[in-house]
Amino acid sequence: MSAKSRLVMGAAAFFLLWLLLTTLYTVSEVQQALIVRLGAPIGVVNEPGLKFKLPLVDSVIFYDRRLLTLEPAVEQVILGDQKRIEVRTYTRYRITDPLRFYTAVRTVELAEPQLAQLVSSSLRRELGQVALPSLLSEQRSNIVELIQREVADKAKDVGIEVVEVRFHRADLPLETSQAIYDRMTSERQREAKELRAQGFEWAQEIQAKADRERTVILSEAQRQAKITHGTADAEANQILSSAFGKDPQFYKLYRTLQTYRQALANAGPTIVLSPDTEFLRYFKTGPGTLTKH
Amino acid sequence: MSPNSGEDLPNPAPAIESPTRAAEISQWLNSYIHLFGLRGKGTALILGLLAVAWISAGIYKVQPDEQGVVLLFGKWVDTTSSGLHYHLPYPFETVLLPKVTQVNQLQLGTPRLAATDTIADVSHERQMLTGDENIVEADCAVSWRIKDAGKFLFKVNNPEAALKIVAESALREIISRTPIQAAMSDKRQQVAEQTRALLQALLDKSDSGILVTQVQLQRVDPPGVVIDAFNDVQRARADQERTRNEAEAYANDIIPRARGEASHIGQESEAYKSQVINLAEGDAKSFQLIYASYAADKDVTAWRLYLESVDEMLKKATKVIIDTSGKGITGIVPYMPLAERDKPEAAKEPAK
Repeated sequence: MSAKSRLVMGAAAFFLLWLLLTTLYTVSEVQQALIVRLGAPIGVVNEPGLKFKLPLVDSVIFYDRRLLTLEPAVEQVILGDQKRIEVRTYTRYRITDPLRFYTAVRTVELAEPQLAQLVSSSLRRELGQVALPSLLSEQRSNIVELIQREVADKAKDVGIEVVEVRFHRADLPLETSQAIYDRMTSERQREAKELRAQGFEWAQEIQAKADRERTVILSEAQRQAKITHGTADAEANQILSSAFGKDPQFYKLYRTLQTYRQALANAGPTIVLSPDTEFLRYFKTGPGTLTKH
Repeated sequence: MSPNSGEDLPNPAPAIESPTRAAEISQWLNSYIHLFGLRGKGTALILGLLAVAWISAGIYKVQPDEQGVVLLFGKWVDTTSSGLHYHLPYPFETVLLPKVTQVNQLQLGTPRLAATDTIADVSHERQMLTGDENIVEADCAVSWRIKDAGKFLFKVNNPEAALKIVAESALREIISRTPIQAAMSDKRQQVAEQTRALLQALLDKSDSGILVTQVQLQRVDPPGVVIDAFNDVQRARADQERTRNEAEAYANDIIPRARGEASHIGQESEAYKSQVINLAEGDAKSFQLIYASYAADKDVTAWRLYLESVDEMLKKATKVIIDTSGKGITGIVPYMPLAERDKPEAAKEPAK
């Protein structure tokens, strides 16, 4: 092989390589490509794989095909009830129309501030009409839905499909936190006081009930005891009177004699006796009268 | 596939390529050594060895917890399961090896540390509003795994970062519907479950290919400045319980005692009853017996009984007998030796 033909072959090989490198390009699974011919966008490649383009005149701009997340900084929003809250939103979107996207905003870096602006203005408009309590309820998702629809509508013009706009967080700003803390503290104090007082209430109730029960138990017992005493006395009277009733005369005598014998005698009495008593009759007269008697 | 787009993809691909590249380089070195030994046929040999190295670079292994996703010029053409596989070597085909069975943990509530954040900001960052306009600080852990490798790799840009944002948003939304007391105590499980459901719904809506296996609510606390007040509520609850227990102890103490006392009173009265009746019966019986004996001879028994008692009485008595034949005790004042009353023994002597 001559040196010249080698040179030609080498040049041809280089040319072929250059041609390959400039006409072939790959679009990956996560990408989509926009073909720009001499500055004018002419077509979109959606299918991933190995692709061809014209050398020199065509250039390829790749866009992400996946879902992208935009998370702008926290912003303060005034609600319908004049309360201020700090809202941080996030927006998930994808580029669905690279052609429109290219003509409208060109790059993702440039598109994001615009999208953030859209979200922000929509957010302010919607939240300006609702009060805080409705934001802290099931209604939140409806509000978010509204914002999302608005943003999605407008973003369509720049070739962006907005899949989701949501609140990452919605909080009261730091400055109002203290007021909330104070309220929380006072609420807890109220609760604690109530709990303690309720404990006292219960205790009083239980103690008083116990005291009452004790009094009732004792007085019932005493009532029963009194009744029993009465019954016993009545029964005793019954027994005695039925026994003594047979001969009241004799009972009087017998019982009187018992008193003389026991109570009177045990007292060690001084007795003044009249000799006229039947008892002293013999003492006075002697046994003489016995026959007469 | 251009090197540019390769950087956009999640990292498993380079991990598998590096060992095969090392093999490629050693093959190169070997081929140079052979080149010096075998002059002449060298070029063909080098080319041959290079070709072998290049072709063998397509062998790859899929671990049991992985899935092989094969890309031909960036286009997803095949999904392989665990084992040894072959793909066309670079630059035709590449393989991604996402770990599909591995359960990953994502910790929420750890504050984003930016240089400008103050401590108050950090604390503020993890706080969230509850349904009754209170503030809590909540942490939770999300367990997730890849449900659909294709979606996970190709549908969402940076799925893990997105997951974190969506999870935080879901947790905050659920907390914002729940009153503070419920979120801190009895509804915790419910909050976690609702968060999981909402998170999964949001992930499915955006085709993330992620399955949330569990959301665990770890810490739901009131903010530091008010925690004392919350603790005091707990203490108050304990105090309440204690006061009640003390009262119950008091009740438990006095009521059985009262019952005991009542039973004592009852027994006592029963005893009294028995006693009185027994005595009465005894009296009655004894009277009846005496009456029976009296009835046999009334006069004598009556006199005997009378005299017996007079006996008894006079035995113990200090006696003064005044014989007033002139009827009555008028005229003279009877002397009563009251001083001797205390000595009946001495007084008795002259009487007998």
